[in-house]
Amino acid sequence: MLSVQAVTKSFDHFVAVSEANLEVEKGSVVAVIGPNGAGKSTLFKLITGHLKPDRGRIIFKGEEVAGLPPHAICRKGISLSYQIVNIFSRLTVFENVQAAVLSHQKRTYNLFSPARNLAVKATCEILEAVGLSGTAGRISGTLSHGEQKVLEIAIALGNDPELLILDEPTAGMSPEETFATIGLINRLTKEMGLTILFCEHDMELVFSIAHRIMVMQQGVSIIEGDPDEIRNNKQVQEAYLGGSD
Amino acid sequence: MFNGFRNWKLLVLGVGFAVILAVAPLFLARFYVYFLALIVVTGLLATSLNMVLGFGGMYQFHHAVFFGVGAYALALMLTKTSLPQFLGFIVGPVIASVLAFLMGLICVRLSKLYFGMLQISLGSLVWALVFRWYSFTGGDDGIHGVPLPAMISSITGSYYFTLIVAGMSLALMYTIINSPFGRIFQAIRDNPERSAGIGVNVRAHQLVGELIAGFFGGVAGILFVTVEGSVFPDLLYWHLSLEILIMCLLGGWFTFWGPMLGAAFIVTLRTVVGVYTEYWTLVLAIILMLLIYFLPQGVLGYFQERFGSRGAVRSREDK
Amino acid sequence: MHSEAEPRNKKQLPYPVSKNRVYIGPEPNWKVLEMEFASHITVSALGQQLLVGLSRTTILFIVASGLSLVLGVLRIPNVAHGSLYMIGAFLAYSINVFFGGGSTGFWVALVLAPLGVALISLAVERGLFCHLYDREHLMLLLFTFSFMLLFRDLVKLVWGSDYRSLAAPDMLQGSFSFFGMPFPRYNLFLLIVGPLVAVGLWFLTNKTKVGKISRAAAVDREMVGAVGINVSWVFAFVFVIGCFLAGLGGALVAPTQNINQGMDHTLIIEAFLIVIVGGLGNMWGALLGALIFGLTDSIGILVWPQFAIVFPYLAVIVILVFRPKGLLKATW
Repeated sequence: MLSVQAVTKSFDHFVAVSEANLEVEKGSVVAVIGPNGAGKSTLFKLITGHLKPDRGRIIFKGEEVAGLPPHAICRKGISLSYQIVNIFSRLTVFENVQAAVLSHQKRTYNLFSPARNLAVKATCEILEAVGLSGTAGRISGTLSHGEQKVLEIAIALGNDPELLILDEPTAGMSPEETFATIGLINRLTKEMGLTILFCEHDMELVFSIAHRIMVMQQGVSIIEGDPDEIRNNKQVQEAYLGGSD
Repeated sequence: MFNGFRNWKLLVLGVGFAVILAVAPLFLARFYVYFLALIVVTGLLATSLNMVLGFGGMYQFHHAVFFGVGAYALALMLTKTSLPQFLGFIVGPVIASVLAFLMGLICVRLSKLYFGMLQISLGSLVWALVFRWYSFTGGDDGIHGVPLPAMISSITGSYYFTLIVAGMSLALMYTIINSPFGRIFQAIRDNPERSAGIGVNVRAHQLVGELIAGFFGGVAGILFVTVEGSVFPDLLYWHLSLEILIMCLLGGWFTFWGPMLGAAFIVTLRTVVGVYTEYWTLVLAIILMLLIYFLPQGVLGYFQERFGSRGAVRSREDK
Repeated sequence: MHSEAEPRNKKQLPYPVSKNRVYIGPEPNWKVLEMEFASHITVSALGQQLLVGLSRTTILFIVASGLSLVLGVLRIPNVAHGSLYMIGAFLAYSINVFFGGGSTGFWVALVLAPLGVALISLAVERGLFCHLYDREHLMLLLFTFSFMLLFRDLVKLVWGSDYRSLAAPDMLQGSFSFFGMPFPRYNLFLLIVGPLVAVGLWFLTNKTKVGKISRAAAVDREMVGAVGINVSWVFAFVFVIGCFLAGLGGALVAPTQNINQGMDHTLIIEAFLIVIVGGLGNMWGALLGALIFGLTDSIGILVWPQFAIVFPYLAVIVILVFRPKGLLKATW
């Protein structure tokens, strides 16, 4: 579904991503792991259009999407949930998700209908699915960090994406919240058939739900394979797994 | 118009207020009617600015241009052409919104301070043209004694005209704020990057916002001509732009009625204090400084945070 | 807020403003000049006009560099900067009168007026601004706007509403012949002072310890604080220097025009535009911007006097469209 080919991006001589390659198949769960600064977030931003690659191709469902602006890529069916919480802090939880849904329904130029009556069903469904129904009326800036991260995912879901990209979805979450999020991700793949691409530092999580794993270090993709291959790979063990967890 | 209010007490207050406004000319001296009309016009202008400022997060530093252009368009059409009079009233806001769109095309690529500064330069250019083009616009003298249609040329007539038009405009703006566009616009204010991420073409929406704000600024402009009967270059000067900015911030720029309150406050202050001392700006300055220091959310914003929704736009979405 | 200089019969929304610009020379009668276009272009006229433009550039540069410091390092959009410029001019007048009104009066005023302005700004900064550095820009803008209103009325309180004038010292009065056209001696004086101030500023920001700290603080104030430097005093220092420059500009411009209560208005917009065009916090940018402004204005006066005022704005717009962050490197 998604094919990243030899994508490179540098900032003022600092090479953030170099010749990255990634293949994501429809319906699968793919994880990208690597130490901090490996270029994972940059890669995600390149895929979603927030950054333009210097070289390389990004193909989504057969179309070339590298270099398109973020809103165009979103319309094609890719949604990103950000690493650092990036919500609409002055709006309520409901309005946050509703904004995404309205955008998906192409109703953003509607000037005259009262918004509180539109897209209610779709928004409530999403809030149910992620477990935020109880907080729907609260200003999103007042939520706890963990709840905000879940809201992140909810907003991304509002666009009814085919490919959902999660940048460190459980960062900063308590164990209970992490458990709930894992359950959510599982439901998203199994029940809703979403394709998920994510990156994480929590290795347990990665190995428990990922179908395929890609390892990055200093901007380069070292290796790509299924969990067992990665677990047993010497290079990866030395570089990354050896020191952590 | 008040379909957002859940609180019936506020509704009653609002209706009562509207009634008072409606019957005011019957028992107020002419000057006070004029004064009220001026407040309504200024309030409308401030509210139109707040459409993009408070609800869009755009640093609109030279909104007065649209006000002045609308006013001048009407005045010029009424004095220099013999086209049907009502046309001027439509042309004014339309030209203002076209100008807003054009200026937006140039400015909207930038954000915050740079957006504001570029807008000031563009606006100052327009001001300079109006100021120096003596033969066409009357230059520094402006145009006085604009021939208005008989029905609205009296104090009372212009007052009711202003009330009606302003009322409709405010209703429209309120609807727009509560529409999907309004929600998305506020989302852009809170987080432009995220908005792009959910599929919103930020620049396009900001342009539409500019169009709307410019249009209603122009409406305020034509109302000014009806109330005042004249136009002058100060209507386009950056000083006025900063003044309306203050009105918005003073009243509470994340609320709908805040700018109106701020406008009422400043116009009243200027008139009332002006009677007692010619140093009324000193008083204004001190009050402003105190307010900015202690109430950064503006007066209404402060109340809104303390006591919950009051004239706030956000409706409580309890499922 | 009335401009008594030009009584108006209009009603009060918004208030009228008198628009005296820093134009070194008599203010032409625009109504008479309306139809004239490109009628004054000869080589000597061009040369003279360019030199006049350069003198104006000096004043603009001095004031703008002060604003650039404040905006670039402290991130305060100080709309009252023009008011300090105006106060500098009025102070220069009063000091001059106090010292007898002659040549010595001028030189003393030139030294003391900017210092007076610096003192005022120090009081304001320590009393108020230092508590507001972390507020939103918009709030700071309006706060300084309140100061502008305050200063304006204070000036009216202290000096009344009439114009004042200050004579240049004897040795700088009169003009000499430059390619057959008269060139005021005072303008030449300005042309010398300008680069001196530029060099002085450059020395201050690049060679002194305080200057280097300020430049660091402009880019990352938290880091500077973490290293143990008292950022608060650094900011006060920068603010005072910036306001000193505004006062200096006012004192310098005083002999060339009527000192009036509208001086703050016209200058502040020009100063802001120059700072943005040159690059926030960049002194050479302020110089470049001032040059562009002064020269386009002079060319405009020569080519199309009625709309001369439009030329600098056009130049600024064109530049900002292609380089929105200014021509030279900005600090933020």
